[in-house]
Amino acid sequence: MFMHRHNRHESFRRKEAARLIDMEGGQEGIIISVLGGKNITKRLADLGLTAGTEIKIIGSTLFSGPVQVEVSGSRLVLGRGLASKITVEMK
Amino acid sequence: MTDENKINIVLAGQGNSGKSTVFNYLTGLHQHIGNWAGKTIEKREGTLFYKGYTVDVLDLPGIYSLTTYSVEEVISREYIVRQKPDFVINIIDSTNLERNLIFTLQLLELECPVILVLNMTDLAKKKGITISTRKLGNILRVSVIQAVASHGSGLTEIIDEVIKLKNGKSNYEAPRYGKEIENCISQLSGMLHNINLPYPERWIAIKLLEKDNEIVRLVRENNPSILKTAEELGRNLEEIHGHDSSIVIADERSHLAAQITREIVEIAPRRKISLNDRLDALTTHKFTGYLVMILILGGMFFTVFSLGNWLSSRVDILFSNWHDWWNINAGTTFPATLGWAAVEGVLALIQIALPYILPFYIMLYILEDWGYIARISFLMDNLMHRIGIHGKGCISFIIGLGCNVPGCLSCRIMETRRERFITAVLVTLVPCSAVSVIIFGLVGKYVGLLWALGLYLFAMIIIFIAGRLSTKLVPGEPVELIMPMPDYKTPQLRTILYQTWLALKEFIYIAAPIVVVTGVIIQAINIAGWMPAISRFLNPVTETWLGLPSITGILLIFGILRKELILVMLAAYLGTAHFSDALTPQQMITLAVVSMFYVPCIATISVLWKDYGWKKALAVCILEILFAILLAGIVKRLLDFINL
Repeated sequence: MFMHRHNRHESFRRKEAARLIDMEGGQEGIIISVLGGKNITKRLADLGLTAGTEIKIIGSTLFSGPVQVEVSGSRLVLGRGLASKITVEMK
Repeated sequence: MTDENKINIVLAGQGNSGKSTVFNYLTGLHQHIGNWAGKTIEKREGTLFYKGYTVDVLDLPGIYSLTTYSVEEVISREYIVRQKPDFVINIIDSTNLERNLIFTLQLLELECPVILVLNMTDLAKKKGITISTRKLGNILRVSVIQAVASHGSGLTEIIDEVIKLKNGKSNYEAPRYGKEIENCISQLSGMLHNINLPYPERWIAIKLLEKDNEIVRLVRENNPSILKTAEELGRNLEEIHGHDSSIVIADERSHLAAQITREIVEIAPRRKISLNDRLDALTTHKFTGYLVMILILGGMFFTVFSLGNWLSSRVDILFSNWHDWWNINAGTTFPATLGWAAVEGVLALIQIALPYILPFYIMLYILEDWGYIARISFLMDNLMHRIGIHGKGCISFIIGLGCNVPGCLSCRIMETRRERFITAVLVTLVPCSAVSVIIFGLVGKYVGLLWALGLYLFAMIIIFIAGRLSTKLVPGEPVELIMPMPDYKTPQLRTILYQTWLALKEFIYIAAPIVVVTGVIIQAINIAGWMPAISRFLNPVTETWLGLPSITGILLIFGILRKELILVMLAAYLGTAHFSDALTPQQMITLAVVSMFYVPCIATISVLWKDYGWKKALAVCILEILFAILLAGIVKRLLDFINL
């Protein structure tokens, strides 16, 4: 847990990083970190969402709903709470 | 039949991989659907006779990984390890190769004989994706077959391959990961030689590093000292990689999958934006997405109800003189009347199933096969989140508007038992087509259309409040939406009809026995002449608290069978369908409110019973009865207040 915070902090200083939910449709980047419980991070990893993966935002719905993303050629919808735990270094 | 001619295979794959289509194609009508022992998860088995072989096929639940996250995943991996099927057929969505390969790697870790089926190669080709099956087979050392399940191509080849491999012997190799991880794995598996568990040693080692709850527990019971080493090695990995060791392993798999994909896939540059891309943009857009959804769902309900009403009147005519015929031929003795009650139960089911549920299922599966259902979940997730469940629950609500029975059954798409139960309970509050008959036939016709629509709005508010309450009251964590977004594809008639047939069959299997039995019991009470006593007994509720005529007590009892019976029997009792002669507008609204919420119909109760146990089903019934009576009484007093 401590390592996570540390990493994330550093990358904020280094380059422009944003939470997935703060990005807009069409923006691309590389996942820096996935926070959250073991189960959730594992589940996301099993779907190919891990640190170092390229990710593209497709869009969200009205009133800040879930986020649709493209990862390694396939598309996924992530609940807002989940998406807020993913930090991306923007291209 | 000798054992040599018997083969058993299981189908495994992620959601949307076309696994069900493969299963249906292979087993046709020779299939059996049941539940996994003690679980609410469907178990589908079937048999196929081919070239003198008997092939038993089992469809494992659609899953994303083999780590203990959901019940489905545990079921699948336990089955593969303990039952040792001859072959595990891994169905892969070729348009989502990389993600699907992560699952394939997990299957291979189990060291079971795997055959890969690259499904939907036609869609992949359309997207400009070319996959080298030869390279893939060489890298993973397994057989790879290309298929387009929706057209039935490549599927007999699977069985040919199974027969070919069955007669030869081959070795299966687990995938290898990075050096540090392999070091940890080999150190750990070296300690596992004497451990008495049915799993491969290498696999146990990986699961220990992944901190899989189930495996950690089993090893602790067996030899706790191994856990200490596992923890130490895990900490080493964490120090090197900066993540929890469970994430390190998952990362490793996903990187290996990415690497394999790079080696075997060629992607032609996209020529132009396809029609499906445009359709996708339109249907998931912030504004037009909702507009299209309202149009599609509105159109669907309009079609289903107008078609349903027409079909229903046809079916009514068909059955109209059956009762007289029965009375003439069987007589009106006590047993004969009870016999008619049983027949009536079956007819009632046909009258719901044929005109409403059948067209509804067909439309639903068209949307599903096309890929639209996932878009609804996406668009509605936000709103559903406010109720306390995620976007997929919306699908159950939509189905529930047609009929609560398939609505409750569809809650199985929710990930955890908690979400399933909460969604199912909320679905029982959704006004189904039978309740709509009461709302429109009574309130819409005699009080005003706005009042009828107001009742729907009222139901939505009640569901919202009930959702907020139940997500607070039922213990456990809410699950967030994680859903792959499928590409649009042309719906296949064969798939749609097949799914419809299966769903309809399940509806009849679950509902028929209980509807018939309850019908007979209620009729017996009626003949015994106890009904007046019962309605007198209910008077404090019906007359005093709700201000309704005494007869409604009996109507509400019959309404448990089928809610529109409340209206049908009221007309029979009054001798006219002019309800305004007998009921005031206020009484009509009160009666409609009670009918909407007072208890799920008997067929819905039987689903709750089957999936969640009799205790929970009973609790839901009692709570809803009390709630509906309380609510309708309050509504009556509010209406008094505004002098309606």
